[in-house]
Amino acid sequence: MTLGSAGSSVVVPRNFRLLEELEKGEKGIGDGTVSYGMDDGDDIYMRSWTGTIIGPYNTVHEGRIYQLKLFCDKDYPEKPPTVRFHSRINMTCVNHETGVVESKKFSLLANWQRRFTMEDILTQLKKEMAASHNRKLIQPPEGTCY
Amino acid sequence: MANSNLPRRIIKETQRLLSEPAPGISASPSEDNMRYFNVMILGPTQSPYEGGVFKLELFLPEEYPMAAPKVRFLTKIYHPNIDKLGRICLDILKDKWSPALQIRTVLLSIQALLSAPNPDDPLSENIAKHWKSNEAEAVETAKEWTRLYASDA
Repeated sequence: MTLGSAGSSVVVPRNFRLLEELEKGEKGIGDGTVSYGMDDGDDIYMRSWTGTIIGPYNTVHEGRIYQLKLFCDKDYPEKPPTVRFHSRINMTCVNHETGVVESKKFSLLANWQRRFTMEDILTQLKKEMAASHNRKLIQPPEGTCY
Repeated sequence: MANSNLPRRIIKETQRLLSEPAPGISASPSEDNMRYFNVMILGPTQSPYEGGVFKLELFLPEEYPMAAPKVRFLTKIYHPNIDKLGRICLDILKDKWSPALQIRTVLLSIQALLSAPNPDDPLSENIAKHWKSNEAEAVETAKEWTRLYASDA
């Protein structure tokens, strides 16, 4: 047994991983521009979540509050959650009709790794909003939903 | 591969849990993760949980035994120290943890908590209020939930 490799061998099971994410989300993340919480406090399997992203400065998204739905199935975090915008948004990786974040156009989902979290998804989507191909796109009226 | 670095202490504890299980408690590691246990606790006699079979899950974090195991109920239970997600308010799982304790002592303590709910240190405010204002009625609800959710595991 080598000490150095011990860390990588410990796999936190799905439910305990989601409990960690829940507790982190309840405490609040960073500057508060991304946040998330569980939808149904009675769901022992913690499947359905709502995330919020506040649009970044100096973009068309500035000041807008975007709501998303994240669904963590039984195979999370081996597989990524499904991510769908509830608030309408015009963004290259988001399906215009459904609001679904398309994994082939969003590398974090396409190249998903077990250590990634819902916080990582929201933070990366916020960065994506400020990317050159998204920051100036014409947006649907504020407050409309899919 | 995933379990090749399992500390000797965890192996020993697991062997003993399987060969000499504590009365009313069973704990077995899952096949693909030796730090993750499926646990069953029988509701103690003379408690509102009598006759119930309660499923729990337990995980030994990387820091174990320097950090406490993580445990929660998967079976719904009406108890002032257990919340809707099955999380348990028990001092030895938090600040009173000591590496001298074991998986077995943790599970015995949880079993004891079922016999002696402590509404003065609640995790579920509403259930604790119910317990303090009308204990007989709260106990009836706990029995009802045991029948509804814990009787067929």
